[in-house]
Amino acid sequence: MSEFEPKIVAFFCNWCTFTAADLAGTSRLSYPPNIKIIRVMCSGMVDPKYVLKAFLNGADGVLIGGCWPGDCHYINGNLKARRRVALVTELLKQYGIGEERFWLRWIAASEGNMLKEVADEMTAKLKQLGPSPLQNKGQMAV
Amino acid sequence: MSERIGFFICHCGINIAYRVRVKEVADYAATFPGVVVSKDYLFMCSDPGQDLIEKEIKNSDLTRVVVASCSPRMHEKTFRAACQRAGLNPYRAFHMVSVREHGSWVTENEDEATAKAIIIVRAGLMRVTNQNALTPSQFSVNPNTLVVGGGIAGMQAALDIASSGNRAYLVERQPTVGGHMLQYDKTFPTLDCAACIGTPKMVAVGQDKNVTLMTNTEVESVNGFIGNFKVNVNQLSRYVKSNCTGCGDCAKVCPVEAPNEWDVGTKMRKAIYISFPQAVPVRYAIEKKDRGPCVQTCPAGINIQGFVALIKVGKYEEALRVIMEKMPLPGTLGRICPAPCESQCRRQEVESPLAICQLKRFAADQVDWEKLYVPTVEIKNESEKVAIIGAGPAGLSAAYFLAKKGYHPTIFEKAPFAGGMLRFGIPDYRLPPAVLDQEINYIKRMGVDIQLGVSMGKDRPVSSLFNEGFKAVYLAAGAQKSRKMNIENEDADGVMHGIDYLGQLNLKNPVKTGRKVVVVGGGDVAIDAAREALRQGASQVTMVYRRSRSEMPAVKHEIQAAEEEGIKLELLVNPIAVLTEGGKVTGLRCIKMELGEPDESGRRRPVPVAGSEFDLECDMMIPAIGQQVNTSFLEGTEGVELTRWGTVAADAVTFQTSFPGIFAGGDMFTGPSIAVEAVAAGQEAAISIEKYLLGEELAENRPVKPKGSDWKAIPKKVVVTPRAKMPVLPVGDRVGNYKEVELGFTEEEARKEASRCVDCGACCECKLCVDQCKAEAIDHDMTDKRETIDVGSIIIATGFDPMNPSKMTQYGYGSYRNVFTNIEFERLSNATGPTSGKLLKRDMQDPMKFTTAPKSVAILHCIGSRDVNHHEYCSRTCCMYALKYAHLLKDKCGHDTEIYNFYIDMRCFGKGYEEFYKKVQSEGVRMIRGKAGSITEDANGILTVKGEDTLSNRLVEIQVEMVILCTAMEARPNADEVMRKFGIGIGADGFFQEEHPKLAPVSTPTSGVFLAGACQGPKDIPDTVAQAKGAAAECLALSSAGKVEVPPMISSIDPDVCVGCQLCIGLCPYSAIEFNTFAGISEVNSAICKGCGSCAGACPSGAPKVRHFTDKQIFAEIDGILLN
Repeated sequence: MSEFEPKIVAFFCNWCTFTAADLAGTSRLSYPPNIKIIRVMCSGMVDPKYVLKAFLNGADGVLIGGCWPGDCHYINGNLKARRRVALVTELLKQYGIGEERFWLRWIAASEGNMLKEVADEMTAKLKQLGPSPLQNKGQMAV
Repeated sequence: MSERIGFFICHCGINIAYRVRVKEVADYAATFPGVVVSKDYLFMCSDPGQDLIEKEIKNSDLTRVVVASCSPRMHEKTFRAACQRAGLNPYRAFHMVSVREHGSWVTENEDEATAKAIIIVRAGLMRVTNQNALTPSQFSVNPNTLVVGGGIAGMQAALDIASSGNRAYLVERQPTVGGHMLQYDKTFPTLDCAACIGTPKMVAVGQDKNVTLMTNTEVESVNGFIGNFKVNVNQLSRYVKSNCTGCGDCAKVCPVEAPNEWDVGTKMRKAIYISFPQAVPVRYAIEKKDRGPCVQTCPAGINIQGFVALIKVGKYEEALRVIMEKMPLPGTLGRICPAPCESQCRRQEVESPLAICQLKRFAADQVDWEKLYVPTVEIKNESEKVAIIGAGPAGLSAAYFLAKKGYHPTIFEKAPFAGGMLRFGIPDYRLPPAVLDQEINYIKRMGVDIQLGVSMGKDRPVSSLFNEGFKAVYLAAGAQKSRKMNIENEDADGVMHGIDYLGQLNLKNPVKTGRKVVVVGGGDVAIDAAREALRQGASQVTMVYRRSRSEMPAVKHEIQAAEEEGIKLELLVNPIAVLTEGGKVTGLRCIKMELGEPDESGRRRPVPVAGSEFDLECDMMIPAIGQQVNTSFLEGTEGVELTRWGTVAADAVTFQTSFPGIFAGGDMFTGPSIAVEAVAAGQEAAISIEKYLLGEELAENRPVKPKGSDWKAIPKKVVVTPRAKMPVLPVGDRVGNYKEVELGFTEEEARKEASRCVDCGACCECKLCVDQCKAEAIDHDMTDKRETIDVGSIIIATGFDPMNPSKMTQYGYGSYRNVFTNIEFERLSNATGPTSGKLLKRDMQDPMKFTTAPKSVAILHCIGSRDVNHHEYCSRTCCMYALKYAHLLKDKCGHDTEIYNFYIDMRCFGKGYEEFYKKVQSEGVRMIRGKAGSITEDANGILTVKGEDTLSNRLVEIQVEMVILCTAMEARPNADEVMRKFGIGIGADGFFQEEHPKLAPVSTPTSGVFLAGACQGPKDIPDTVAQAKGAAAECLALSSAGKVEVPPMISSIDPDVCVGCQLCIGLCPYSAIEFNTFAGISEVNSAICKGCGSCAGACPSGAPKVRHFTDKQIFAEIDGILLN
């Protein structure tokens, strides 16, 4: 049987982490293909239901990438994201989804190498954790 | 209508196709529901590629288009335009998937890359059918441009904008424009002088009617969006108005010197200065910080830094004038003040505080008081009379300041002399009466009437003074009643209180002093009484004090002087009874004490040691344990309240008593304190009394004490100079006479001591410049000017900083005299620099002196550049200016000067650069390929440079007289702050990041904000100017279009869903959401909203949505990614 390949949904802020992902590309830094990126304008617009939806649809991990505190393109959206992530993490724990599956990381536009490191690290961590407990149980109709 | 989707995947040459099997992806897409066209092409962004899309839209009636290629940040606009041309709403119809940056380039395995591409394409295909038609909003463009930074980039951009007829606001933080280029001497490769080509640009930005030049100015915040920015700027006060003619008379008299920043510290400038002679605007500026801690601490608020600086330059009368602005008794207090200012002096961070008090005395001793100039004041009406009770320091001070304001003060003094405690309580050997007299005489010359021998009280109540025509009364009678000890036989013959003893002696009344004298107490009065007794013939004087030496309140050097004179200290001893025989004192019974817990004063409370009683033999006992206020003169005056300590009660700010028109101050109000506090009280009283006489509110508009701690940094390499020692009369010459013990500084000592001042406040506010300026352009009270500028575009041209190489200790910069940085060398070579353009070595002793031309020089490339420990990047200019230096050295110091260039690679890539390299090589410059490893200096200052010559594989050691370090160009230390203000990005190298490294080199992620010059990365002058012109062209394109489309991806609130909870209103960072009270719902103002989605992420009912990032669209993407 082939090795477990975790599915990771990544919500990246257009101004920092999404640009860092572009930079990782232009710098030819390779990282596992498990991460699939969805572009958002700000980490502060990531609604909790996006995270829940991803887990319900079978994601093994969710990653949010935002600007470093103080560097938000929209003044303080990343700080709102941070507060929201803390709450959603509590919720996920109650649903039996470990907090290790839900990551928030600050990655600036210039930090392509950091993006690679986070992708490597998260994929490795999820491989170690195994499939999400919700796998194939909670398919939700759109 | 069912959707008809077209899918197009790009090979990007081989960039995508080498990892992603594009045909396989296209085949997969073809099977997806709704996809009617699925094609691949070599370069989708090319014209034929776009044509292909447009044709398919028309031929196959496509409703939606998905392109899988590079990042949407690259070509989203290109394909949106293609869709629009083909008649589709691009926001509804088009979605882009990145299979290059997020696919082929980051995935090593072809199968994995293809699989990933298929999944993200699937997500895109699912998203696109959920997209809605959007129309961008259009806004008009303000044609004006803000240019931040007045270096060559900023100046060029501003001039280009101005030449179009639009306005450029050029904001520069320094007092002059010019930037680094104008610090240089010659410019490579043509060797034309930087000033010759740079100053015309400076003059032009200063004169062009379309350029608004704002120097000394910083941008505080930026609001708005492309075409419509509102920028708040703060023009920092330069204290010199625009009518300055630049004549420089002010700088000639300024006593404060500091290293000139423009000359990177190789030359001195004054506190009022112009950076260099060609500065634009030609307008001086004053460097001013918060007032020094000495000024802040002095109770009287004397401008200490001011008078010290004037003593330093030998202007003693001017120094005295500065002191007398705040304090009329400089010679007196210069002898007796305990100098609280000195305890705060920052010079003690180096070694010890300045001898401020003794310098004050020095200034007072240098002038002839009889001839001292009396300022002319506007004399008030004769009826404006003020009565002052007591001619002590508080009374004299109040009278002096009232006289300075033109009022007519009269002092009533009970004693037959003026001076109060200064005369009565201080022995002549500390304060010669002549000194006090000359200052009192001066106060009289100011117009103060002093009536001696006048008692107030029952027969002439204080309140009756109002009937005599006085309009206000100041009570300043002091605290002259000695405190009792409350022990047995305290009234025996031979007991005389310290204050009475000193008083009688000072009045030259006969006093019988015993042979063996015991003084009780540890304060100044006790010390003075003890030393007096010695002078009066006592053979043995003992001081008894109940605490230890460190708690003694007397001035430390006075205690020491007393001991030197032979006075014995009995510490931790308390008297318990006076021993008498026939009513006369024969001794004092004492008990030993030890220190217990600290009391409320913070000092440890002394407690008696049981059974330790002992007797001291004496025939005279002088208690000096403190004084009290005597308010008997208030007899007959009703309505002046007293405190429970017996002092007069008064308001802490206005000093008015409970009797309107009667004020109180000095010891009368505070209880016994120091003279300078009394002077300060007099000053405040004069302010209150004037306000009272004018009928103004007493507590309002009073002068505020200076505060703050933004002081000038103490230079790291300040030479340690011990504090000047006050010359004193030898001990043998003191006893038995009243000669002054402290002799005062010589002129040389005083000036040397004054020069130790570290100029905390930069400008010392001596105001000599104000008197000098014929144009009356100097305004020391100028304040910062804030304003808001409306512009449509912004160019950031904030430049770079040369790296400080002192952290690379192997090169010894900062410790070896003749190791220079490139900028220092440029200033040396520049005609306006420290040597007027001569290339000279530094003097080994004095770094500000330059001696002879070097016979040999090593030039070290790549200092901090191409170095993993500092900056990995190449600074791009160093190779070329290193060659220029080699040429200049040969040219100016003679062809026989040995020049060694230690380089890694020579990078001479520009137009004419390689030719210049060849030319310099032909001049006999030695090129050594290898980075120099270290420098050492020998006793004669000869520098040995060690390195490896990698061409011959040999280690080399070269002895030279001078080394020049070609330091890296690095980002400004405040780049982070600038980044946040303007919403731009910073790259890993610390410089501002352009939108695209090749195709958008002057744009930033924030539309309407552009970059120019070295703030974006190291570059030389030609590249900087080119980029500046590029940025100006971007701005002009915007202005000339006159309108701008703003992306429609902003928020909207569904009125049917909103419940009006207003949660979103508090979250919106732009205050773009308002509550419609009529409809009971929140609404988005689309002109303000920027589309961050804070509202959408938080709304519990899901009413707000960011257009193009709706729940449905994101959900579709999630579904696409996770579809099994």
